[in-house]
Amino acid sequence: MEKRIIAGALVLGIVAVFFLFSVLLIHPFGDPGQAQMDDYIITHTQNETGTQNGVTSVVFDYRGFDTLGEATILFSAVTGVLLIFRRVRH
Amino acid sequence: MGIEFLIINTLVILLLIIASIVTVLLRDLLAATVALAAMSLLLSLEFFLLQAPDVAIAQAGVGACLTTAIIIIAIRGTKRMEDE
Amino acid sequence: MSEMTKIVKTTANILFPFTMIFGLYVIAHGHLTPGGGFQGGAIVVSGCALLLVAYGSSWVFDRIKDKRLAAFESLGAIGFITIAFLGLMFSAVFFGNFLAGSGSLFGTTPATGSTLADFNTGGVLPLMNFAVGVKVIAGLFVIVLVMAYASSTKEWG
Repeated sequence: MEKRIIAGALVLGIVAVFFLFSVLLIHPFGDPGQAQMDDYIITHTQNETGTQNGVTSVVFDYRGFDTLGEATILFSAVTGVLLIFRRVRH
Repeated sequence: MGIEFLIINTLVILLLIIASIVTVLLRDLLAATVALAAMSLLLSLEFFLLQAPDVAIAQAGVGACLTTAIIIIAIRGTKRMEDE
Repeated sequence: MSEMTKIVKTTANILFPFTMIFGLYVIAHGHLTPGGGFQGGAIVVSGCALLLVAYGSSWVFDRIKDKRLAAFESLGAIGFITIAFLGLMFSAVFFGNFLAGSGSLFGTTPATGSTLADFNTGGVLPLMNFAVGVKVIAGLFVIVLVMAYASSTKEWG
């Protein structure tokens, strides 16, 4: 039991250090303003991603981490449903 | 934006509110599910009118079809009528 | 769910191929037209749910196993992560678009402005659309299928 508490505290400390560094390195609040970001994406999306669809380029390229989180949500939903309904024999 | 856009938009939003109220008021859960699917389709049409076709396709696929199917499956597992 | 009447089955037989073709079109043209992996996958799963309602869950369960669908779901997730890490390897950025403008597969750059693009553009975006599409089809369909089958058996009432 002591080992599990120590291991958990260690993992929590490592995650906290990474979060602390990412908080220190983050942009100031509202620094890339909305108009600047829109103008950059509308101007550069055809040259940088080579596609005509700006929405898809934002979803899968500029903001890929959002799609990664969505994929994680779907994966955990499927895992939960299969765990709950597994005792049905067929 | 012309006057036609304003008329169609107002009509869709009024139908949306009516479908939502009907969904809440119905005692039959299966009929309430059908009203919820109609509300979801109208919401998809409203997204399309506001020039967001991506969200409209996702709303029509997930909200109008899959949610309805899952709720109907849940209703078949329980009772159809709502108790007082 | 038990199977339904002949009218519902005939309607499902007519509507099912068009729904599948439209969903696969939305997935394949995700970098050109509105839509993408998630939207197209939801359309394909709604066609499969139509088949499930018309023919009953045990009929579908005899043909498609839930373990294979779960394996396809994990395969789509692995493909998505693999493409993201290939971007880290080739262009030094996670989710980097290393195929855009390279002239090889999906590597053509379209003309700037509101012009029509051909299918061979977009870099890694079509591959990611395909991976997410496989993931969404398998994931949502296994949820609907397992819930329908479990609600139709005696054990779950």
